[in-house]
Amino acid sequence: MSGVGDARRYRFLFEQMVRRELRQKYQGSVLGLAWYVVNPLVLMGAYYLMFGVALKPGFSHAAYPLFLLVGLTVWIFFNQSLLGAASSLLDQGALVRKARFPRETIPASVVAVQVVTFLVVLALVAVVTVAVRGTLGAPLVLLPVLLAALVAFVLGFALVVSVLHAYFRDVAPILGAMLLPWFFLSPIFFEPGDITEKAWARDLLTWANPMAPFITAIRDVLYAGAWPTLATVLYVLGAAVLALGAGLALFRRLAAELAVVV
Amino acid sequence: MSPEPGELVLDHAWRAFSVRADPGRTLKGLLLGRRGAGPPPVQALRDVSLRIAPGETVGVIGRNGAGKTSTLRVLAGIVPLQRGTVAAGGRVVALLELGAGFGRDFSGRENILLNGALHGLSRAEIEGRIDDIVAFSELGDFVDVPVRTYSSGMFVRLGFSIAAHLDADVLLIDEVLAVGDEAFQRKCEARIAQRVAAGATLVLVSHDAALVERTCARTVVLDGGAVVFDGPTAEGMPFYHRQMGTETHP
Repeated sequence: MSGVGDARRYRFLFEQMVRRELRQKYQGSVLGLAWYVVNPLVLMGAYYLMFGVALKPGFSHAAYPLFLLVGLTVWIFFNQSLLGAASSLLDQGALVRKARFPRETIPASVVAVQVVTFLVVLALVAVVTVAVRGTLGAPLVLLPVLLAALVAFVLGFALVVSVLHAYFRDVAPILGAMLLPWFFLSPIFFEPGDITEKAWARDLLTWANPMAPFITAIRDVLYAGAWPTLATVLYVLGAAVLALGAGLALFRRLAAELAVVV
Repeated sequence: MSPEPGELVLDHAWRAFSVRADPGRTLKGLLLGRRGAGPPPVQALRDVSLRIAPGETVGVIGRNGAGKTSTLRVLAGIVPLQRGTVAAGGRVVALLELGAGFGRDFSGRENILLNGALHGLSRAEIEGRIDDIVAFSELGDFVDVPVRTYSSGMFVRLGFSIAAHLDADVLLIDEVLAVGDEAFQRKCEARIAQRVAAGATLVLVSHDAALVERTCARTVVLDGGAVVFDGPTAEGMPFYHRQMGTETHP
């Protein structure tokens, strides 16, 4: 199968898969699409009460709910995409076993649905944040680049977990168990400098977690109205290329046997 | 050398499947180096070589577990070979089992779109055929109802109607027609004959000897994953009956 020719030929399939995904997601849910907006808002409320009011941390950020909300929105996109993608190939096992088509379509359609809802939520968050914080300025031009890199990064990751889960059925539960501590180690309700004085710990929190630079860069642009550091931007671009490249390579290597293993 | 549309080539094809009661491998098992116990792999294709020319009609018969369905899945490009090569020219449409890819909560019409898309058709190409497909399936108003309400006969009507209208160069059909009632079966056979007359290749897996005799000029008998007979149906059927011990005239 050649990549580009297939992509064009199977564009309609991708469209149909996205439609399927949307239908299955919203079926029987009263709020439907609104869940995607409500979910981060509820989490934001909870974390604001927890960290902004109840615990009174030793650091503070102006308009803390917005500080939280930007990071949470990015995280929820990452989280939901991976959890949805992990089981996607098994969920669509009937298709995989009986028809020949580019298998990437399945996890990609899961991520595509999440991208759409992410962009809707982020648009709302961005408008409010920029208005309240007065951050309308030149750094905003970087936002589309950062978002494109984030989507590529998440897609690469999603390809990996989906194909691995098809082969090893404990990948999804392991992923689920990892995402919670990962969330708390990500700079969502703090900045690394807020919680540690030690330079090595700060560096670890900033660079060892590939999600950290994405959150930091997007928050720099939206919430702080500042340019992210060059190192952060390069990291983000590098992580995107690496994740997508490695994800596609691994997926294509393992995809041939999918009809047998799912 | 790429095959011409409608041509199928299997060259010294080998494929085995592991048969384990518990197919779910885990990372934990991998890390602990745990090897699941179980019977040895089943050799589904054993050095199979077939060359099918465009427009041929081939019936694949053999006892249960002879490798018939595996052969179709390999020809459809769904399952890869472990050794040997497979090549199929043009658009290959496979009808394997009932309801391939039918989303249960989706209407028949939505499933037509999805199935067309799975075979690489564009929206315009499918929408141009949708009326013919609906008419052929005789589903009437049911086409707009979720397919979970369908009977198995309705499933096969929809599945066959779609497969028969995708302008396939190769049609691979696995023992599904038997579910339809007799009138619909006749209609399917007529449609297949029409497609074959238009130059399509047919490979049919069936236990229905009469169906193979009616629709296929050539017969391949498989046994234990290997080809044990390949020739005209008139000779293949007696061979098959001898093999099964079901000769009518001893």
